[in-house]
Amino acid sequence: MSETIVEFRNATKAFRDVPAFQNVNFTLRRGEVHALLGENGAGKSTLTKVLAGLYPLTSGEMLVEGTPRSFGSPAEALSHGVAMVFQETNLIPSMTVAQNLFLGEEKFFNRLRGINIKAQQQLQRLSFHVEPTALVSSLGAAKKQMVEIARAVQRQARIFVFDEPTATLTPEEKQHFFALVERLKREGHSIIFISHALEEALALADRISILRDGALVVTDDAANFSRDRIIQAMVGRQLKDELYGTAGARKGRPAGAKVLALENVSMGKAVRSATLSVFAGQVTGMFGLVGAGRTEMMKIAAGVLKRNIFHGGRIRLHGRSVRFSVPRAAVGRGIAYITEDRKLDGIFDTMGIAENIFFGRLAKGANPVSVVTMAQARRDAADWIEKLAIRTIRRNAKVVELSGGNQQKVVIAKSLIQAPEIIIFDEPTRGVDVGAIAEIHATIQRLADAGAAVVVISSYLPEILAISDRVLVARQGRIVEEMAIEEASEEKIMYAAVH
Amino acid sequence: MSTSAETDSGRQRIRAVLRSQEGIVLLLAAAAFVLFSVLLPSFLSPGNLLALVRSVSILGILALGMALVVIARGIDVSMIAVMVVSVSWAFVITRAGYPFELALLIGAGFALLAGIAIGALIAFGEVPPIFATLAAGSVIYGTGRTFFFTLEMQNVPPDTDWFRLIGQGSLFGIPVTIVAFAILCVVVQLVLSRTRFGWTIYAMGNNPNAARITGLPVRPMIVAQYAISALIAYGAGLILASSASAINARLFNSTMIYDILLVVVLGGIGLNGGHGSVRNVVLGTVFVGILLNGMTILNIDYTIQNLVKGVVLLLAIVIDSIVNPRDEQTSQQGDL
Repeated sequence: MSETIVEFRNATKAFRDVPAFQNVNFTLRRGEVHALLGENGAGKSTLTKVLAGLYPLTSGEMLVEGTPRSFGSPAEALSHGVAMVFQETNLIPSMTVAQNLFLGEEKFFNRLRGINIKAQQQLQRLSFHVEPTALVSSLGAAKKQMVEIARAVQRQARIFVFDEPTATLTPEEKQHFFALVERLKREGHSIIFISHALEEALALADRISILRDGALVVTDDAANFSRDRIIQAMVGRQLKDELYGTAGARKGRPAGAKVLALENVSMGKAVRSATLSVFAGQVTGMFGLVGAGRTEMMKIAAGVLKRNIFHGGRIRLHGRSVRFSVPRAAVGRGIAYITEDRKLDGIFDTMGIAENIFFGRLAKGANPVSVVTMAQARRDAADWIEKLAIRTIRRNAKVVELSGGNQQKVVIAKSLIQAPEIIIFDEPTRGVDVGAIAEIHATIQRLADAGAAVVVISSYLPEILAISDRVLVARQGRIVEEMAIEEASEEKIMYAAVH
Repeated sequence: MSTSAETDSGRQRIRAVLRSQEGIVLLLAAAAFVLFSVLLPSFLSPGNLLALVRSVSILGILALGMALVVIARGIDVSMIAVMVVSVSWAFVITRAGYPFELALLIGAGFALLAGIAIGALIAFGEVPPIFATLAAGSVIYGTGRTFFFTLEMQNVPPDTDWFRLIGQGSLFGIPVTIVAFAILCVVVQLVLSRTRFGWTIYAMGNNPNAARITGLPVRPMIVAQYAISALIAYGAGLILASSASAINARLFNSTMIYDILLVVVLGGIGLNGGHGSVRNVVLGTVFVGILLNGMTILNIDYTIQNLVKGVVLLLAIVIDSIVNPRDEQTSQQGDL
């Protein structure tokens, strides 16, 4: 039981001299479930990605079953028994479950029936209730995960790495997943799983390791941990209280004028008859689990997505009914949506900071042939670079070279330069370093103090409690609960958010 | 101290240029130029050099239009169709008795409409640009050949002496064609670097989703780009017709559109958009010009010329990806 199967010795991985983790000594024993915990950016994902062959180590050693290894690709890692199950699955949606199971192992001639029978046997052995002839695109998140695991087992994987496996699962699917992990463990497989859900880790894991700022802080038997001890180890010097304050101790700002209202807004299956109001001069926090439709509701309000044409409900801006077909229309009316995914639709990555911010201003103008110069962009942006404390080594650095926190500040500045009245922050501190989190929160508070209507969508309860004046809870495409900050608590919000 | 630091940074800059695709193409162009000068005595004569630049000017003008679209992450393979149909139609209308100037305006109007229609298809119909322009090119050409004119060759109408000057005359000893190319270069460069329009083009090429969310007018911009590239194609067609005294509709079936893309890509304007400038178009034009001219003097078979062009393009792309590999940080998505 105590035989070591994976070992990291003084392992360091750095991206361009910035270490993701440093001098980590980590062991995984055969047949154990090992939870890897830590804040965003603590280095958990990178550590497991090294094991799965996505990155090489910068220095130190990685031993798999006693021999030093460096995997060049996930395929090579798999051939040595290491399988990583990603947050987004790597299945081909247009193929059946059986075809996906045997992907890459096809013989020259394939008989679909033969594959289906073999897949059926495999799935039954693992007691996964998945139909081998079903298309992967028709499966839910949990079933996709099962297929992915079955595929790994099929390839004789002995070490499984799960990155946030339960984040996208419904509570019922979670139970399936836990049973599955137990089953894998009973069969002698070793499992590493990364999670943000502490209770899951405590319930499921044999041992727990905690990373903080790229260093392994502690590894111990799960029995020796409590929720408090984990949190303490994760945040270190009681930083959490400093950052997020103590929940419930604050008094919210009074609501100003009702500036934005969604009335029975619907869009496909994601948003079903959502009704909510946003008031000037305060921060409205929006909480919901993945799939609750919070982002979609706000994207509809900002013109990024379009609501149903029939029975799509109404959106009122200052009491007037509006329908935006493109974000430009919403921007023109003073609504800014600050994206949750900077890479995808936030930054212009190979451009400089000044250009990025300046595009916010360019978007507000109309005359296409009006003259713009780099000097003008620098001048306009300088103000915001200072206000939001965007820090760079070189003034003309490309945005892609900045840290996550500074990138986020650039995206925020790009919207704020448009002087919006309604500002929607979608996960404003995702993938942002700790120092920048406080600064971004301060910016949000300043905006509300100045009279703007601010909406903050967050999946992180302490953040919601720390910055909101009013909390909305979304569930299954609707707003199901609304509470003032004085009466909100983590338990209350979570109770409303789960099914 | 400071001077040595300056020369150091200067040297670094030179090295950076040489390591970029632009640098490689510049070196190749210089090499080809020297090679042809040594091998072919007639290559270096002023007459030939002028002919060289003049012949590629039209390609360069077309490439400027293409560059606008490509930088904004589009592609316009309908340019040749628009060019031959609108110019031919203008000539046909003149022969039918309308004033030549009015006919030219109608031709321009047709090109503009075609460009707007294609742009609308891409912007509002959300058809991928390559398919939209490929199909639209065929439709435009087919429409033209069926309804506007039947003859492949359309001669420039008689009694239009001023028109012939465009392709055949010269200004201060420089052919008008080259002057036109130079002026268009300056205009496009100014538009790209100094106007809201140009900046928006770069933003759209860099990250179309971010451009949309920021509130930039993405759809009108797409329509405008294709309208402009169609107008540029029309202008290039007029110059071409003027210098050859006729326009040949068969150009639609030639490799001309690929030559344009060759110029754009070889010059260093990546097909994934967001970067490149007029400098790249000029560089690509000069290199392709030297290559084509040299091979023509050498009397190399047309098929082999195409082979050479293809190999050069492949080489440029491969060398670029070796010299400038995608690094770990930029290919990595999101969190650590």
